[in-house]
Amino acid sequence: MVKIKNIYCLLVIGAIVWGCKKPYNPPVVSSDNHYLVVEGVINSGNDSTVINLSRTVKLTENVSTQAVSNFSVVVEDAQGNGYTLKPEGNGKYDIGPMHLDISKKYRLHLKDPTGKEYASDYVEVRQNPPIDSIGFFPKNNNLQLYVSTHNATNNTRYYRWDYAETWRFHTRYQSGYIVDTVTKEVRGRRINELVYFCFAGDKSSNIILGSSEKLVQDVIAQGPITTIPNTSEKLELRYTILLKQYALTKEGYQFWENMRKNTEQLGSIFDAQPSQLQGNIHNINDPAEPVIGYVSITDIQSKRIFIDNSQLPTDWIAKYPYDCGPLDTAYYSAPKSGHNDVEDLIIKGNGIPVVPFGNFRVEGYLYTSAGCTDCTIRGRVMQPLFWKEK
Amino acid sequence: MKKLYFLSLCFLMLCKLNYAQQNAGTLISVNFQQAGISQVVAELEAKTDYHFYYNPLQFDSLKVTIQLSNKPLEAVLEMAFKNTNFRYAITSGHQVFLTRGREIQTRLAADFFGNKPGVNQSSPNIVTNVATANFTDEKEVKVPEATTENKLYEIGIKTNTVEPGKATLSGYVREGKSGESVVGASIYVTNTKTGVATDQFGYFTITLPKGRQILSIRGIGMRDTRRQIILYSDGKLNIDMQEQVTSLKEVKISAEKVANVRNVQLGVNHLDIKSIKQVPTVFGEADVLRVVLTLPGVQTVGEASTGFNVRGGSADQNLILLNDATIYNPSHFFGFFSAFNPDIVKDIELYKSSIPEKFGGRLSSVLDITDREGNKKKFTGSAGIGLLTSRLNVEGPIIKDKTSFIFGGRVTYSDWLLNLLPEAYKHSQASFYDFNLDISHQIDDKNNIYITSYLSKDKFKLNSDTAYSYSNKNINIKWKHNFNDKLFSVITTGIDHYQYDIASFDNAVNAYRLNFDINQTNLKADFTYYLNRKNTINFGASSIYYKLHPGNLQPNNTQSLVMPDVIPAQQALESAAYVGDKYDITDDLSLSAGIRYSLYNYLGPQTVYNYAPGLPKTSANLIDSTSYTKNKVIKTYSGPEFRLSARYNLGDNTSLKAGYNTLRQYIHLLSNTTAIAPTDVWQLSDPNIKPQYGDQVSLGIYRNLKSNTIETSVEVYYKRLRDYLDYRSGANLILNHHIENDVLSTDGKAYGIEFLIKKATGKANGWISYTYSRTFLKQDDINAGELINGGAYYPANFDKPHDFNFIGNYRFSHRFSISLNVTYSTGRPITLPIAKYYYGGSERIYYSDRNEYRIPDYFRSDFSMNIEGNHKVHQLTHNSFTIGIYNLTGRQNAYSTYFTQQGGVINGFKLSIFAKPIPFINYNIRF
Repeated sequence: MVKIKNIYCLLVIGAIVWGCKKPYNPPVVSSDNHYLVVEGVINSGNDSTVINLSRTVKLTENVSTQAVSNFSVVVEDAQGNGYTLKPEGNGKYDIGPMHLDISKKYRLHLKDPTGKEYASDYVEVRQNPPIDSIGFFPKNNNLQLYVSTHNATNNTRYYRWDYAETWRFHTRYQSGYIVDTVTKEVRGRRINELVYFCFAGDKSSNIILGSSEKLVQDVIAQGPITTIPNTSEKLELRYTILLKQYALTKEGYQFWENMRKNTEQLGSIFDAQPSQLQGNIHNINDPAEPVIGYVSITDIQSKRIFIDNSQLPTDWIAKYPYDCGPLDTAYYSAPKSGHNDVEDLIIKGNGIPVVPFGNFRVEGYLYTSAGCTDCTIRGRVMQPLFWKEK
Repeated sequence: MKKLYFLSLCFLMLCKLNYAQQNAGTLISVNFQQAGISQVVAELEAKTDYHFYYNPLQFDSLKVTIQLSNKPLEAVLEMAFKNTNFRYAITSGHQVFLTRGREIQTRLAADFFGNKPGVNQSSPNIVTNVATANFTDEKEVKVPEATTENKLYEIGIKTNTVEPGKATLSGYVREGKSGESVVGASIYVTNTKTGVATDQFGYFTITLPKGRQILSIRGIGMRDTRRQIILYSDGKLNIDMQEQVTSLKEVKISAEKVANVRNVQLGVNHLDIKSIKQVPTVFGEADVLRVVLTLPGVQTVGEASTGFNVRGGSADQNLILLNDATIYNPSHFFGFFSAFNPDIVKDIELYKSSIPEKFGGRLSSVLDITDREGNKKKFTGSAGIGLLTSRLNVEGPIIKDKTSFIFGGRVTYSDWLLNLLPEAYKHSQASFYDFNLDISHQIDDKNNIYITSYLSKDKFKLNSDTAYSYSNKNINIKWKHNFNDKLFSVITTGIDHYQYDIASFDNAVNAYRLNFDINQTNLKADFTYYLNRKNTINFGASSIYYKLHPGNLQPNNTQSLVMPDVIPAQQALESAAYVGDKYDITDDLSLSAGIRYSLYNYLGPQTVYNYAPGLPKTSANLIDSTSYTKNKVIKTYSGPEFRLSARYNLGDNTSLKAGYNTLRQYIHLLSNTTAIAPTDVWQLSDPNIKPQYGDQVSLGIYRNLKSNTIETSVEVYYKRLRDYLDYRSGANLILNHHIENDVLSTDGKAYGIEFLIKKATGKANGWISYTYSRTFLKQDDINAGELINGGAYYPANFDKPHDFNFIGNYRFSHRFSISLNVTYSTGRPITLPIAKYYYGGSERIYYSDRNEYRIPDYFRSDFSMNIEGNHKVHQLTHNSFTIGIYNLTGRQNAYSTYFTQQGGVINGFKLSIFAKPIPFINYNIRF
């Protein structure tokens, strides 16, 4: 993981000191062509294979992709023996474990309804060692997550990872009360109506690559995966990451590296110029047609770890995403005006009752906005199956 | 007639013989004890009827102790001056001339009557008992220093009547106060159309009709002056000029300011440090390269780059010479500063079109930067304090009037600035320094030695765990020898070194150190021969030995698993021989024609990869490799380079010029970033990477207006490039053992028209330039690999069609002046996304053909004020302030635009550098 090639992106200093970065909308330039995009990894091992087909869209369009259905998608070897993937809708095609022969080469063969045929090059099956460990340490004001892996036979060399993360969090205020949808009265919450603790998740959107090409051994030592700011809600209680590791060929690595350079590492003073992306999928009859994507074959490895807030520095405090002041007060009968604020602000309004107040009787409720007390706005209450508490 | 002269000469000599015999008759007795000259002379005058002439000052150290009786006067003087360097001469009129160092010839000069030297030598010379010398031709003789305008200087051996014909005048033009040579001063004879310019040592040679002439001398930053001479024969004249002290009401003597019109060369810009210092720059420190960027035909890709593009050439096609040393990285601090200390630099010359035949090795231009010579008369110095840098320079004589030194140094203290940065960059460090030390020594009138050296180092560490540093080291020795008035030579040898170093520490397993360096050893000999009035011939030869270490990756500690990876060193020898003639065909038509033959040998030891012929050079087509032993010539490239230019005068202040030149370049900078990055590597041509070749034809019209105070010019050019390197998509240029797999040979074409209006003098001065130019490249050879844009021409990165610059200075008083600088140019080409898609968890973008679109246009204006302290001559220090604002309008010029995904969505951004008005202040002190 010698990052020699990436040095340019570090040189953004000048821009920070005296410069500025502003949104930029180029003159509307768009190609009317919708090029085929093929994404997915053929899993040679013990798990299913998913291939996503889509087309490019104009920059100005609101959607970022256009799914492609009705293709026939086949993984085949040089002799033409194939495994047909099943369309699942929305451009997704999948098949269960294929247990491919690691000594053979395979390709992805696509046919569209009009008979246009696309195929990838024949690709070797890359051996993928298990992930050794996922670790983390505080770095400046972030939590740095890293992966370590190695292949004792020194023949993997090029790696890519992606991940899915899940975390448990809570809202600012714990509300014990709710407006009954039927009676329109404020009442205590039932157990299934609690919205203080939730789970949220996200997927990697950056391309994470690693290479031991320049090392004497095939070792990835503490390759960075992602960083989480210390103020992030992700670290508030408990966090988990499921990391998937893919072994690549050298060409595959270059494809991803190129895509990363083109879309993630621009904007420094010494930018490399954007370059054309050369995948390994082609229109069989018209090789000049651009097709985006690189198909590789490997045995996908994965590993999950949990990080508990107690493992992190104690002075790390999550920043709440909404602006929540102190609780507001709503009387059934306001002392001076006599207004029924509970009726106006909570039952008819958007306020959420948190706790009642009053001497010997409920004179009203302290209330707040949904953002400050309802975690379901940005998460789910139900615990995922893989979740493990300490 | 000749016979008659000869007879007269014989007659005169006979007379002389007579006198010698006569003198012997008068006998005198003397007794001097520690007598001073006045005492001696008084006594001798009393005892003889001779009258003595001498300069008492010359004799103030003489003490005579002799006792003689009844000796002739000659014997007395002989004895008195024995073992001293005092001389005497006795004339027929009973006059005695006492001199120091040389004797006055009492007879007329041997060739007084125009005799041929051969005849002269065969004549008997009678008075030879003491050392005799010809005033005009002796080493010890001090060449007259012509310091005043109204005196008539006699050059050569005086004759009663001026001979018809021509004679050669040579000498140095120097700055009166410091004795420093004035380079590029033009010397014109008002009534003829010939003129010359002084060379890099301030030396000139001009052939003129004999007789009375008025020389007009004009040097940049110098007060225009003239010298009246009467030229009898070949001779020397050193001219002292005065620095231009600008005044409110300037008297203009401008009828002779025609150098730009009269010069044969075209596409040459000369700037002295004074005009450079007037241009406002971002940190208030005068910057040589920033000013070069305002010249017509010079462009840059952006503000953080000191790389520049001349007439459609890439940044590595400029040969940057600092006192003849090649500077590989001319920038400091991410390109915000140029590597040249403004306190040391004397002037710069940029050759865009007529590149003299003595230069070679780069395709686009030569930027020749010359340091000042140290003050030969007294110690002086200056210091400057700016926001980020401080400078100090000291200069002075080592041996008065003979040897001097100049030292300049700069350092940064930028860490305070970095500490103001957001957390993510707070722990960054950046610093640089540079030092110049130059020594010049005059051995004698014919030999000068110059030693120049340069050292610079940049270090930076951004918040990451990686430290970068790079360094230039140059030293060279120059020996200038005048064989005679017509032939002189400069022999230069030196070493140039550039290296960078990247080191990573953070992660023990991956810690590495990466080095790159390039070394060149130069030897060159340049000769100039002034054949006659019409022809000046330059010839010479040069050789450069390159040794380049393209990359060396090593583990940085014992735990590191980094595999050492060393790309074998590359060696090559680049040699050239050239000859050129500047021929004044008529007064109006001049031609400069030169040919340079360059020869390049790629040398072993090396392993060269062989690829299947006619197929792209990719690993798939690799056949085998061949190993070569040390110093074995692996591949030779060679070819002639032509340098032609001609000028035709259309009247007194207008001329038409045309030029054609071809160049070859054997060393390439591998860079696929927009701006030159400090970590780009150089690559020598080898069997798989061909040298670049370029040729250019240009045409210009020059006209001076308003008594030559305004210079105007228009030049058009068309240029072709062959085998210019571009890169495959996703090329890896660092530590690549098969670099030929990642580069593409492209062909290019560039054309443009450049306008320049310049007013060099007056209260208001400055220049306006406008350039329209285009530069295109293409890669259409399907066998060479990937086609770029389907093989069609595409604009180069630095293709900026419209480029306008205004530099204006206005002087309110001696102590206060203001400067304004306005720049506009078309935005440079970029590759824009044309479609988007979803891949790898995020929106991604699909790019258009290369360089199909442009970033927004660039506009910037800068303003500065120079405030000088009082101008009393006798004070300890002289102070001045420069206060100004860079980017007055605060326009957020796009340095680049880019599209990057954040949180899974593609956003377009425009990156601006110096996006706000930036105030600056600089304090300078001179002592």
